[in-house]
Amino acid sequence: MSVCDGGHCVTCSDEAVSMTVLRVDARRGLALCTDRSGVRSTVEIALVEPVTAGDELLVHAGTAIAAAAKAPRQ
Amino acid sequence: MKFVDEFRDAELGRVVAGEILAAVEPGRHYKFMEVCGGHTHSIYKYGIDDLLPANVELVHGPGCPVCVIPMGRVDDGIALAHQDGVIFTCFGDMMRVPGSDGSLLDAKAAGADVRMVYSPLDALRIAKQNPDRQVVFFAIGFETTAPSTALTLKRARAERVANFSCMCSHVTIVPPLRALLESPDLRLDGFIGPGHVSTIVGARPFEFIPADYGKPVVIAGFEPLDILHAISMILRQLATGRCEVENQYTRVVPYEGNLRALEVMAEVFELRPHFEWRGLGFISHSGLKLSDAYADLDAEQRFAVPGLRVADPKACQCGEVLKGVIKPWECKVFGTACTPERPIGTCMVSSEGACAAYYNFGRFAREREVV
Repeated sequence: MSVCDGGHCVTCSDEAVSMTVLRVDARRGLALCTDRSGVRSTVEIALVEPVTAGDELLVHAGTAIAAAAKAPRQ
Repeated sequence: MKFVDEFRDAELGRVVAGEILAAVEPGRHYKFMEVCGGHTHSIYKYGIDDLLPANVELVHGPGCPVCVIPMGRVDDGIALAHQDGVIFTCFGDMMRVPGSDGSLLDAKAAGADVRMVYSPLDALRIAKQNPDRQVVFFAIGFETTAPSTALTLKRARAERVANFSCMCSHVTIVPPLRALLESPDLRLDGFIGPGHVSTIVGARPFEFIPADYGKPVVIAGFEPLDILHAISMILRQLATGRCEVENQYTRVVPYEGNLRALEVMAEVFELRPHFEWRGLGFISHSGLKLSDAYADLDAEQRFAVPGLRVADPKACQCGEVLKGVIKPWECKVFGTACTPERPIGTCMVSSEGACAAYYNFGRFAREREVV
């Protein structure tokens, strides 16, 4: 089957994964995010800024393409 | 999580399937095309075909940006990968696409430094970690992925990563749809629109389909309920005589698209006059290249590539599958000479290709039907 992780390719399937923001580096336009299995990755956030920790993003090929939910405000 | 669990509810799925059954006209045969490879994958994975009445047929469209890369372009990538000192990076499925003499995976086995990445940011990181090597990123994908490449190229410039370049093979969704709609041998009643492409371009670019061709379009999400709901919405349009673009995926897709993404794409890319699509031939203004402002990051200008056009293999019927004219199992070499392990055509290479999706998921349902 496909070489890709999970048996399908992120590009071909146009897959976007729901991820939660852990930490934001606003100066560099990046965020450290985690998916539902706990895997962490650095995500480009230029298309959905501003984001804060706790926000839920839809991430495709390492870039957030939409914001799903904002973290509850204190 | 808000995108997933609620949209996989089996009970709700049965309710929507019931709505579909109530909406179809007896004796009428419906053909809907799902444009996006991700929809094809979901349809097979969740058995959505099984929930539909027999007179509602789903046709797989050209929504796989890997599937449509022609052999000559793969050969160009392999030529680059073999150049001294080059680290060639690409997404996973691209590594298995057959060129005229093997794939990028074969080139890797023969000693080329080909590395799989999950994002262009990974490729940029490899470039920073290997300052004495040239790192090339083979950029593929529709408008969903192109902004990611564009942002990474801007980042490479801002951070002065001189050993990074991009071989751009991004494609755009509207021209091949128009080419398909112009095919005399294609008969469709409606479209399930690409959900994630639309987060970038919005719903507006698809308005030409109802306006010029009289076919309804419903932009859909990727969970099983999304797809069933979209099919129900298309049927309701047909039943009530409406013909328009509707957005089923409103939780994610804005009508106007993502303006920042469109701006960065306009800055970094320009349209090629034409681009060859496997099985569909040359289509005008359907591929992207780096703009003059980013020419210094263009791998095709930094390195020599063959740039030769290679004809599709004679046995390959990918073009007819991509146009929805034949089903995967109607291809002469499906499952025999052409399998996921030894693909002839790119419809079998990518898991989202119509043939691979059917081979891996759909054929068991068909065997049940025959019995």
